[in-house]
Amino acid sequence: MGDPDLAGALALEEYRPGASAVLADVERWPTASSSDLDRLRHWRTHPDAPAWTHATGDRLTAAQTVRVRMPLPLEGWLDAHLAAARNTLRYRDVPALDTLADFPTVTRADLAADIAAFVPLDADLDRMVHGTSSGSTGAALQIPDDVEDVARTFHLLRDLASRLGVRIEPDRGRMVLANLVHQREAFTYVSLVSSFAHTVMARVNLHPASWPDAASRRRFLAEADPQILSGHPTSLEAACDLRDVLHPKVAFSSAMELSAPLRARIEDALQCPVIDLYGLHETRPIAWRPDAGPFRVLERRVLVELLDADGCAVPDGEVGEITVTAGENLLLPLVRYRTGDFARRVPEGLADLEGRAHVVFRAADGRRVPSVDLTQQLQAHGALGWLVAQDAAGAVRARIVGGDTTAIDAALRALLGGEVRVEQIGTLAALGEGKPRRYTTERGPLG
Amino acid sequence: MADTETLLQAWAERASTDDEAWAHTVPGPSLDAVTARLASVPRDFLDERVSLPALFGDILPAVAAPACLAFADDARVRTGAAIALWLVAADDLIEPLDPPLNTARAGVAVDALALRVASVVDPATWLVDDERRVEAARTFLLWDGLRPAGEDAATARALLDACDSLARDRAMAAAYEGHRHRAEIARRLQEARQREAAARYSAE
Repeated sequence: MGDPDLAGALALEEYRPGASAVLADVERWPTASSSDLDRLRHWRTHPDAPAWTHATGDRLTAAQTVRVRMPLPLEGWLDAHLAAARNTLRYRDVPALDTLADFPTVTRADLAADIAAFVPLDADLDRMVHGTSSGSTGAALQIPDDVEDVARTFHLLRDLASRLGVRIEPDRGRMVLANLVHQREAFTYVSLVSSFAHTVMARVNLHPASWPDAASRRRFLAEADPQILSGHPTSLEAACDLRDVLHPKVAFSSAMELSAPLRARIEDALQCPVIDLYGLHETRPIAWRPDAGPFRVLERRVLVELLDADGCAVPDGEVGEITVTAGENLLLPLVRYRTGDFARRVPEGLADLEGRAHVVFRAADGRRVPSVDLTQQLQAHGALGWLVAQDAAGAVRARIVGGDTTAIDAALRALLGGEVRVEQIGTLAALGEGKPRRYTTERGPLG
Repeated sequence: MADTETLLQAWAERASTDDEAWAHTVPGPSLDAVTARLASVPRDFLDERVSLPALFGDILPAVAAPACLAFADDARVRTGAAIALWLVAADDLIEPLDPPLNTARAGVAVDALALRVASVVDPATWLVDDERRVEAARTFLLWDGLRPAGEDAATARALLDACDSLARDRAMAAAYEGHRHRAEIARRLQEARQREAAARYSAE
């Protein structure tokens, strides 16, 4: 990374420190006391802190801090959910949508084309916060998130931990949660969990470039000592190198496939249970597993069908596309949403879940480069879809649909070095049938 | 000529919500005073040979160009906008209404008549049909930040709703509701993006 021009090719405007921080702290945490804010300040200004790139809070009012501690009630939710969906532009003129089975399936492309059509006409838009789903099928998606639903996720994690006998209680001497990333650039911030005694959480980038030096990273994390770690498999794997300073009670892996060997490695290194959480930003969490067995569908406002290409349910035991009716985000009541992921239904839940590819490239200088770093750059430069393949010799070939070819070429060279070839292909359909394996590498082994 | 849905979409993307508009109204002139002005539009304003952008520039030189100028070659839009501009110009040419119109917001009010009302009702009828004239007057006042003298916001809103031509055309009203909703979601997402996301607890 010695070439400043190449380094510049990776600059993402949205990650410029403070680029999107516009609120006052009293708006971020309306119920925080001065002593709560003092604790926040401690971590913000800690001499060993990483360069925080952002500031954000949970924005909860006093009434909301009470509501989000409890899950949404389940009794009668599906009927109310379908009624909310019928009151959207997508469905209001569609006749005979009486039961779930009457609704046609929808895809991410439908949301990308007209997200507003899926927001109920009478939705309380004052609850909206902005979300971006990088997804795994191409272009980023702007999602209208519900501020209460986002905050409720913390309590879902706590509840799942409790099922394994792990109790998470407020401990003001420790951070309650660290959402770990390991990316060249990332949103990072310190926040208060208003609904959990204003304990401190942070989104922390473990990438060495984020820290003054390696010793700072160790001192900071040793003092923070978060009770819960969450992140991609890549970032949790990176956390294993800090096993002597981290003592989490539980770790949550999500967004990408967690292999059984990696799970075992994380559990062994961090000496805590690892929960694999499956979900998409647009659907919210769907299923979980505390071991290498099948995923268990969460007892929330979520209903999973496994469908074939024609929209028919596949027999139990056969592979079908995970299709979700998701009712936790009241601003986006999805009905029969095709996730692009596949699984088999077994008595315990969903087995052989496939689709969340976890790919780590090897740069020319030997560095490990997680595919999420490439996703950031491809999306930032406007690509709608892509297949990026690295051969055994390290050469990279990227086939992209849309976007700035020159900028993407420069970004991939900066990330991976070596031989890079970027070519435009005409359409997303040219990427192949179904959900493409967007990243592949034959350069290994990694370790 | 632009189709009606295109004009309504342009209005939906330009205007704030009705709730916001009503929340910001203050007492204005009497409804009779405004309808009387509407009934006395000079022929020059209705002359199709008069350039709408030039007319707008003469009457509201300090106000940003309204969205309706993009459709100035549409006869409905041109006439609707010209009648709205007459209301503004009459404050100088005759005498100010009491209280006077709000010049700073007049661009939105011009768009309201040109895009929202004129797209559904031929502006020529505003001059000869009492109910349509009242609809135009009430619409102009609302988007100029005013409500008729002697009416509170709830009353004024109910009276405008009662004579709203768009609401009577069910198919067009439904299409308009769709445009308003999409425009509102786009605006809210943009606002939410500028106002920061919320803290998140897991990777998604």
